[in-house]
Amino acid sequence: MTTDAPPDATTDATTGAGLVAALIEAAAATIAAHRDELSELDRAIGDGDHGHNMARGFEALTAAADEIAALPFGKALQKAGTTLVMKVGGASGPLFGSALMAAGKASGDDAPRSAAEVATLLDAAIDAVKSRGKSDVGAKTMLDVLAPVADALRTGGTTAAVREAAAAALEATRPMIATKGRAAFLGERSAGHLDPGARSSALLVDAACTVAERS
Amino acid sequence: MSDNVAIVIVSHSADVAKGAADMVRQMVGDEVKVAFTGGTADGALGTDVAAIMAAIDAVWTQKGVAVLVDLGGAETNTEMAIEMLEDGRGERVAILNAPVVEGAVMAATEASGGSSLEDVRQTAEDFQS
Amino acid sequence: MSSPATAPADVEWIEGAAVIVDPTGLHARPAVKLTKLAKTFAAAVEVRPDDAAAPWVNAKSPNAVMKMKAAHGAPLHIRAAGDDAADAVAALTALVERNFDA
Repeated sequence: MTTDAPPDATTDATTGAGLVAALIEAAAATIAAHRDELSELDRAIGDGDHGHNMARGFEALTAAADEIAALPFGKALQKAGTTLVMKVGGASGPLFGSALMAAGKASGDDAPRSAAEVATLLDAAIDAVKSRGKSDVGAKTMLDVLAPVADALRTGGTTAAVREAAAAALEATRPMIATKGRAAFLGERSAGHLDPGARSSALLVDAACTVAERS
Repeated sequence: MSDNVAIVIVSHSADVAKGAADMVRQMVGDEVKVAFTGGTADGALGTDVAAIMAAIDAVWTQKGVAVLVDLGGAETNTEMAIEMLEDGRGERVAILNAPVVEGAVMAATEASGGSSLEDVRQTAEDFQS
Repeated sequence: MSSPATAPADVEWIEGAAVIVDPTGLHARPAVKLTKLAKTFAAAVEVRPDDAAAPWVNAKSPNAVMKMKAAHGAPLHIRAAGDDAADAVAALTALVERNFDA
């Protein structure tokens, strides 16, 4: 990529629309790149379709990216959430979709400008996931990554600190015993595997950090 | 057709959902509208929010819609679908805490006489074989 | 339409009975048919197996009818109270006699 090209409104992450477009692009890219790994993780403790389902959802987000990016920030998150709900399938669609829809409702028309503002949106997302999944932190789910990430953001975290928090939180799901979702059927046998939803959450956090660093 | 509470069956498997709906039609008849959905958009086991919304739409009546669901994700996705229904229609939809096949037959039997959604729920949830 | 579980104590019951001919007794499908038919009448409709000690149960309740386990070869007792009680007893008796249209 050349550095002297004029900023394009759809890819320049410093504008609202550009930020949304960049987030979708980065999220879809990382999910696509890790699709097989996510399904492999899910084969160990779930039904093996997490990577496939997530990839389908984020492909749909990419297809709708222009339409979504044209919306005010809060509305864009909500629309992205609805798209995931409709396209991901499995239980992940409603969980990730509800997270984005709740964050969108908590957001105004402008993108957050500080880590603390991002934390507020993430808190709304976390509450929605808890309520949708009837779950909480400690059940070996995506919440075990999202909650520590929100904490890192609240304490003024740099992107490096946020990435570190996400990676450590993901690794911490390995010894956990699942009590929610398909993995709960395995009980103690779920210990020793990373949770696929926690892994995809960590990937998305990492992608968001990359976008934030560019803007 | 008199306005009876309608039934929606949501299973991870399209075959299970269709089979349960067939049992309702054969045992109770067609005065109770029944819709079913099962499997994901690409034919795998699972449930699909858009398909659940479409099933509810297909049998929609102001009288109410009773939904029978199987394992975990089916309930999560059905709750999501109900919340996404527009114009407050979600308030007229109830997920019944009953096994799919037995619950669907009992709910439809109760519904056939014009019972309210709450009575339909009660009958299906009280069922013990 | 509400389905009273029990009728007031002082009502006049009209009674009937018909023998259950199906070899498996009053099983699921006939129970559904009986319940559905009972629901079409405004009268309170009750049934009981051929055992004077057995309680009358609400014929409009699918759960109650299915749990009753009325046996093959014995009469099913039917009673109704209310405006269309006679029609209800006649219709339900006929349904049992027709072996639930099986």
